[in-house]
Amino acid sequence: MSPEVADIGVYCCHLPLGTLGGMLETVELRKSFGRPVLDGVSLAVRPGEVFGFVGANGAGKTTTMRIVMGVLTPDGGEVRWQGEPLDFAARRTFGYLPEERGLYQKMRVAEQITYFGRLHGLTPQAAARATGALVERLGLAERANETVQALSLGNQQRVQLAVALVHDPAVLVLDEPFSGLDPLAVDALGEVLRERARGGVPVIFSSHQLELVERLCDSVGIIANGRIVAGGTVDELRAGGRTLTEIFRQAAMGEAAK
Amino acid sequence: MNALLLVARREIVAQVRTRAFAIGLAVMVLLVGGATFAPKLFGGPDSYALGTVGTSALQIQDAKWTTYRDEASATKALKDGDVDAVIAGKKVLSNGELDPKLDALLQSANAQAQIKAAGLTITPLNVVSVGPGADAEHTRRGLAFIVVLVLFMLIISTPMMVAMGVVEEKGSRIVEILFTTVRPWQLLGGKILGLGAVGLINLAGVIAAGLVAATASGLAADLPPGLAGIVAGVVVWFILGYTFFAALAAALGSLVSRQEEVGNALAPMTTLIVVAYGVAFYALGDPGSTVARVVSLLPPFSAIVMPVRTAAADVALWEVAVSGVLLLAAVAGIVLLGARIYERAVLRTGARVRIGDVLKSS
Repeated sequence: MSPEVADIGVYCCHLPLGTLGGMLETVELRKSFGRPVLDGVSLAVRPGEVFGFVGANGAGKTTTMRIVMGVLTPDGGEVRWQGEPLDFAARRTFGYLPEERGLYQKMRVAEQITYFGRLHGLTPQAAARATGALVERLGLAERANETVQALSLGNQQRVQLAVALVHDPAVLVLDEPFSGLDPLAVDALGEVLRERARGGVPVIFSSHQLELVERLCDSVGIIANGRIVAGGTVDELRAGGRTLTEIFRQAAMGEAAK
Repeated sequence: MNALLLVARREIVAQVRTRAFAIGLAVMVLLVGGATFAPKLFGGPDSYALGTVGTSALQIQDAKWTTYRDEASATKALKDGDVDAVIAGKKVLSNGELDPKLDALLQSANAQAQIKAAGLTITPLNVVSVGPGADAEHTRRGLAFIVVLVLFMLIISTPMMVAMGVVEEKGSRIVEILFTTVRPWQLLGGKILGLGAVGLINLAGVIAAGLVAATASGLAADLPPGLAGIVAGVVVWFILGYTFFAALAAALGSLVSRQEEVGNALAPMTTLIVVAYGVAFYALGDPGSTVARVVSLLPPFSAIVMPVRTAAADVALWEVAVSGVLLLAAVAGIVLLGARIYERAVLRTGARVRIGDVLKSS
């Protein structure tokens, strides 16, 4: 086993014990849709850490995230949050951006963001305040009173992000949040994610833009054929002088060669 | 605010804002208002316009008399429709066949006038009704007809909105985000509650339109004495019937992922409602028949047939009670089953989900 091919869980050992409480872990997740899709996926995202989830199409990223968010039930293994099995009450505090975007097309932008804030338990005032701030931050201020269907896809994507962020989530699970965004929006979102992480929130997102992952993430997990094949902090992974792209290619090919 | 109420409020706001809601309400109000006015427009007149040529007017209640110089001018007035009949000496002139009721009135008034002229006085018979008058009976059938129409339209269209909402959320995968913070029963319950409120707004609009039109046209005088009870009954039956069909529509809707498939998926529900509608129409003509009595006890058909029967005729209280209890039990059953199907099917996007698969899987 090459040094980077290891369970990511081991990389949390340098953390002070107190912060272990805010860690998101998956333990040996298994799922099969006729053929096995997840074959024992274990990963850990520490509080305040931005975790990049990388892998080829169909490798199991989305399935893992859907299991974390309770959309799918695993055949085996479990999701842990703060050391405990994740339940509905805890999951309510999470923010989720699904792979297939979904919004009420005929609802107005600001109303929609506020609605999701209320559903997550915010008071009307808090929801309105959070909506105002996000709309400003994500460059949607001028579109706030338009219906979602009137927006371009890129702007709809920003609304989707606002919906995931409005309740000030304790964990962020974002499935390809950068796809479809222009460079300015990519920067704005990257900044928002770093900021949330600085507040102690574990952030996990999937992406195919490896240089973006390298730039934004503290640690990375590479998944291939339903297994984590490489993982660690970005610095650790690059210690051999290789780029993430090279590691990714090697990991994917190594897996395919088996 | 609780998640269920938040969902319900969103549904109400989303519907009430649409143009379809405003148009639908306007159409129903006009339809019911028109149907209430119709008997006034197409029914017989309450008073007659009569004429005389060379004779004196007879004593007929509510008649308006005109005197004509000769038969020629009277004939012209008849042909122009200015007057219903003209008495000319011993003749009654009319344009075509004389209205039988007017004929009887004229003959009896003429007889009385001649008897009086002969110096005799007769005491006319005084009719005292111990049952509803013919007019009231007629009005009551009309009322029942409107009840059938309104319940049919609302009970088919409101659950359809539930199904469309379910498919909108399923097809766009909003449901995946919603379920991370809302329980399936809260989402479904809020949707049924909110759209039910929209249905009630429609119903209230229709009832108000009917009552205003009935008062304006003078028809209100003929309405049965238990009108408030009938109206309250219609509202209660609507709530029960709507809840039944809304739960069914949500379950059937959750099986498909695209709006185009909704109509097809709802076929079992629409069939049930159309059958109920057919029986209700039959019950309208013969509210006391065995078929009407049996079906008005049978859920879910009772939701439409029973209110029609109570509107068309008096129904024994025990029958209403049995029908209500049975329907309530059926509503409870279908809500539990529907919620179960919905919860399991709504996350399975893609091809149409088979209902058997949903019930089998744990």
